[in-house]
Formats: sequence, C-alpha cells, structure tokens
Amino acid sequence: MALVSGPGRGGMDSMPAEMRLFVDKHVRYIQSLDSRKDELEYWLTEHLRLNGLYWGLTALHLLGHPDALPRHELLEFVFSCLHENGGFGAAPGHDAHMLYTVSGVQILATLDAFDELEKRVPGGRMKTGQYIADLQDPETGTFAGDEWGERDTRFLYGALNALSLMGLLHLVNVDKAVDHIQTCANFDGGYGTSPGAESHSGQIFTCLAALSIAGRLDLVEQDKLGAWLSERQLKNGGLNGRPEKKEDVCYSWWVATSLAMLKKLHWIDGAKLTAFILQCQDPELGGLADRPGDMVDVFHTVFGIAGLSLLQYPGLAEVDPVYCMPRAVTARCLSRQW
Amino acid sequence: MASHGVSRVIGTNIRSAEVRQKEIEQIAAYKNLVDLVNTKITERKYTIEVLGLVTKLLNENPEYYTIWNHRRRVLGGLFDVPPTGGSPTQTPHGEELINGELQLTFALLRKFPKCYWIWNHRNWVLRKGESLSDTEAARKLWSGELQLIGKMLHADSRNFHAWSYRREVVAYLERTPASISSSTSPILSQSLAESEYEYTTKMIKTNLSNFSAWHSRAKLIPRLLNERGADNAARKQLLDSELALICTAINTDPFDQSIWYYHQFLMSTLSPECSRQNQIVLGLSNMDRQKYYAHEIEYIHEIIEDEADCKWIYVALLHLATSYLEIDGGTNAFTTVDMRSWLEQLKRLDPLRRGRWAELGSSLNI
Ligand SMILES: [Zn+2]
Repeated sequence: MALVSGPGRGGMDSMPAEMRLFVDKHVRYIQSLDSRKDELEYWLTEHLRLNGLYWGLTALHLLGHPDALPRHELLEFVFSCLHENGGFGAAPGHDAHMLYTVSGVQILATLDAFDELEKRVPGGRMKTGQYIADLQDPETGTFAGDEWGERDTRFLYGALNALSLMGLLHLVNVDKAVDHIQTCANFDGGYGTSPGAESHSGQIFTCLAALSIAGRLDLVEQDKLGAWLSERQLKNGGLNGRPEKKEDVCYSWWVATSLAMLKKLHWIDGAKLTAFILQCQDPELGGLADRPGDMVDVFHTVFGIAGLSLLQYPGLAEVDPVYCMPRAVTARCLSRQW
Repeated sequence: MASHGVSRVIGTNIRSAEVRQKEIEQIAAYKNLVDLVNTKITERKYTIEVLGLVTKLLNENPEYYTIWNHRRRVLGGLFDVPPTGGSPTQTPHGEELINGELQLTFALLRKFPKCYWIWNHRNWVLRKGESLSDTEAARKLWSGELQLIGKMLHADSRNFHAWSYRREVVAYLERTPASISSSTSPILSQSLAESEYEYTTKMIKTNLSNFSAWHSRAKLIPRLLNERGADNAARKQLLDSELALICTAINTDPFDQSIWYYHQFLMSTLSPECSRQNQIVLGLSNMDRQKYYAHEIEYIHEIIEDEADCKWIYVALLHLATSYLEIDGGTNAFTTVDMRSWLEQLKRLDPLRRGRWAELGSSLNI
C-alpha cells in the first residue's frame, strides 16, 4: 500500500479556500449518479454505463472512500454486462466491445473480484482474455474494438491494460503491438490514432502506457515528446490536447500522466495545474467539469482527481499513471501468481 | 456523462413539475423505441421498416454503438435480398441503400462531427459499397468522400476524425486504379501525394496556425520527392522553398507554436541521425548542415529586434545551437554567452516550464 503521505482531510480544512478539494461533495455526487433515472440524460448515456462505473469507482478509491458504492450491486451489474464470448457490453443488452471489456476488467481488479468471476463463469478470466486477444490483427499487431473492425491505438492500449491485470499478456503478440505503435510515431515525438495521424495527447497517453506495459519506453523520443507535452500547459495552468487548442481537465490527466511516465512531470507548473483542476469543481453539488463554470460529469471528475493524485494533492490515494487506477490495486494484480 | 463546454447554470437541478412530467414522457417514448428496436433485432426482422426505426433512434442518440451494429445487421439482411421489381413494398437496391446510408451519416456528422461511431459506420458503408458495385462505381463513391471531408474541414479545420478519414479515402483511391478509357492513354499515376500536398498549402494559406495541415505536409514530403524521382538539386529547391514559406509564417505570427513545430521538422531532416527515407536533401556534408543552421540562427536572431518577448525564438535558437555543436561546428555562429542569454530569456518568459529550462541548462552545461 503506497498512500501519498499528507495531512489528510483535517489538513485540507486549513487550506486556503481556493485550494480546497470538496471530497464529501464529490463522493455524494458519484453516489447520486445511479439515482437519476428520471433524467433523460441518464438513458441517453446508457452506452457509457460500465465506463461510468469504472470512472466513479476509481474516483472514490482515490478520494479515500472505496466503499461508497455497494460492492454486491456493482458486481451484479458488471456481470450482467458479460457476454457468452467473454466480452463486456456497456450495459445489459449492449454489444460486447473492447472499451467496455477493459472497464469490466478494471472494475473487477479494483474490487478484487476475479475469483467471483470464476465462480459465476468457470474459466471466465481466460474467456475474457481470449475475447481481447482475438481482436488483435495478426498482420499489423494493432487491435480492433469489436467484430466490426474499427482499429485505433486506444484499443491496443486497452488490450494490454486488461490482459496484464489478468496475468494474460502471453495471449497476444506484444512485440507486434509495439511495432505497430512505432508506426504511429510522428516527427514531434508524439503518436496518433493510426499510422500517419496527427499527434494527440489522448493517443500519446495510450501509446506511452502500452509501451510501459510492454517494458519498451526506451523506444520513445523522450526529450522531444516531453517538450511537446510540456507545451500543452497554458497560462491559466490548464492543459490542452494539441497545439492551439483550449485547456480541458481530461487532458490534465492524459498529458500530466504521460509526462509522469517519462519522469518529466516537473517540466510543467504543478501548482498552477492543481489550482486549475480545483477551479473546475462544482463546490455546491460536487463533481468536476472540463473547465471552470461548466457542467460536471463523472468522466472529468475521475480524470481531475487522478490528475490531483499525480500532483500529490494531500490526502489522495496514489494513482498508477499507466492504468489510471489506484496504485495499491495495480500492485496487487501485477504481483499476483495466477 | 462526458460533456464539453456546457455552462453550469445554478438551479438547473430544480425543475418545475411540468418540466419533470415532460421529461418522464420523453424517457418513456425513448425507452419504448429502444425496446422495439431490440425486439425486432432479436426476431431478426431485417426489413426496411426496422431500418426506419433504427434511423429514428440513431437521430436521437448517435452514440448508442449497439444500435449502429444493429443497423449493419439489418443492412446485411437487406443486401442479401434480391430486388423485387414492381411490387409497392419494393426492397431497395444495394446502391440506393448505400446512398441512403451516406446521406444519413452526412446529416449526423454535421451535427456530431466528433462522434467516432458515425465515422466508423460511414467507413463500413463505403467498404460495403466497394464489394457490391463495380470498380468504377466504387471509385466514384470514394471520390465523393473528398468533398464531404472538404466541407467538414471547412467547418473545423482541426477535426482529427476528418483528417484521418481523408487519409483513408486517399489511400483507397490510390490503391484502386482509375479505369482507362482508351488503350492509348498513358497509365495515370495513382498517387495523390501531389494534390494532397497542394491541399495542405491551401489550408495553411487560409490559416497559418493549422497544425493538422502542417503535420500532413510533413508526412507527404518524403513520398512526394520519391515519386517525383527528384534529384538532389530538386530536393534542395524544395527544402529552400519550404524554409522560405515557414520563415514568412514565423514573421507573420512568431507566437504560433504550430509554425515552430514545422520549422523543427524541417531542421530535423538535416540531422545526421535522420533516416534516409525521411531526408529531404540527401548526402549532406557537415559543412552543408552548418550553413543551414547558421543561416537559420541568423534569420531567427533578427526577429528578436521586433519580438524580444517571444519565447519560441529562444527555443529555436537553442535547438539550432545544439544541432550546430553536435556536428562539431565550432562556435563561429554564436558563443556560449549567447546560449546562456537565450536560456535566461526562456526562464524569464516561460516560468511555467522552469523545470524544463533548468534541466536544459545543466544538460547543455552552460
Ligand atoms: Zn474533456
């Protein structure tokens, strides 16, 4: 267990008002998300339900409230999204897809519930691993999102993320996947969605994290990429995703964690970034938004809080830059003898 | 669940009874439609009527990826049915279906230009069209895509979905030969590198700070040179004209980082470490390199007079100086004192990245 040392919540109360993280409000906001069934938005976002659970659960763990959502109900929901082929859909009745399969695995990892998966579906872990592995393109090494074939470095990262958490990396050709990432590299040191595509911070995160899992960060043009990433910070402290774009809290995660993987987080102003993220809180009802004064959502809430954890904001659990999960969880999974 | 740029209005959580009632009705209607579509798909009712229901649902929620999958299931069924001529409930023909899909996705993309699933479906439709029609018709279909992308990029010149899609369409057109009307006409080059290069010129001229266009341009240049079979004189000419273009751009707006990245790209092609396939001019000697670096240092140094507070100038100067020193160029073009003063300027102008500048100082040992 590697919690960042800090004064904890008692210490936070003595902080200047603008530096305060409204932990209890955020916890209540996340707890309230599933009780909004009388809002049309709840139904229109059903295709993100399993991602949403992963975002909310991770945020709660980082906030130090790991039990704020009922474990049993969470697991019931996760298993209700599991398909016969081992893949997960976004919600019951939604098709299996890499994006939700990764969230499903991440939730099971966080709840330490792989054994429960085995109880429900004998050989379930292997089935899920195989579902992911079958999406690898044997020619290029990249991964498709599902049977319909869209390919993107997001799916490649997701595959390595979930497989490594389950101790099943050997099911895929990691070297080929690494080769594919290299074909997505650009002159600025960054990476795009596919060969030839422009560098984009989200995609840089996925490629760096995948290379970290593969143990091949040595292939990265670290100084060049670090320089490009550090230029994402704008005067107001926030980070953007590409040159000449606006700042956004979700990029505070993708850019900052990429810098952290390159051990160059000190190349940007951490205090200013912290202040920017804190300004994106809704101090009344909890949650974080993309920019100060905007509508909050659980996606920006987790990435904002994960960013704060990376910046060692006092009282938060340590986040793993590669997985966007609590370090304690990834340490447990990655050291497990299956 | 992931919203961007929507203002938070205080008190939106308090809804009047009337508003709540209306929302409850909307939810019921939406859920009914979802249930109806799901039932029809479970029953494998792959009909034109179900396709209509799917359209209605996707118009309400284009992010619902499973419904896009359902749509492809229905279409798959419809493509398999031979056209039934004459009868009033005529099943449309493959080509009509394809055109309908293109229209639907076009309308949705105008409203949701960043929705992955719509781009994805459009791509699937074109591939399907390719397998259903002859080469000529398929090629016509794909050529039409360049116009769509033109419109999308006109609305948002940085939309990376549109740029990615453009690359895919170009790749398709390049690998599918245009039919040759008479046997005497020469076999046309299938590469679109020249016209794509021109397209980036057009985009850059409209807006210098379009990094997506500069990026594309950088990717196209090595190919272009190969295809032109350019000799070294032609290669040198191209490098010089790119440098002239970027220097004008720097002069126009030295605070725009996209321009400096392109300058950095051009400089990186000079490096002894640049792979042969990425080189613009081949077989450079260190003397040639020095000349280029010194020329750029001199040119950029001149801008300081007008724009002493532009940090990018000092970033570039330090980059160039480092490259110059790496090829053992001596210090004729600048001194260590110069380098130290550039670094001081960076520390002064750019405190956000002070950690980076401190590290640069110690790695350069100045
Ligand atoms: Zn965002």
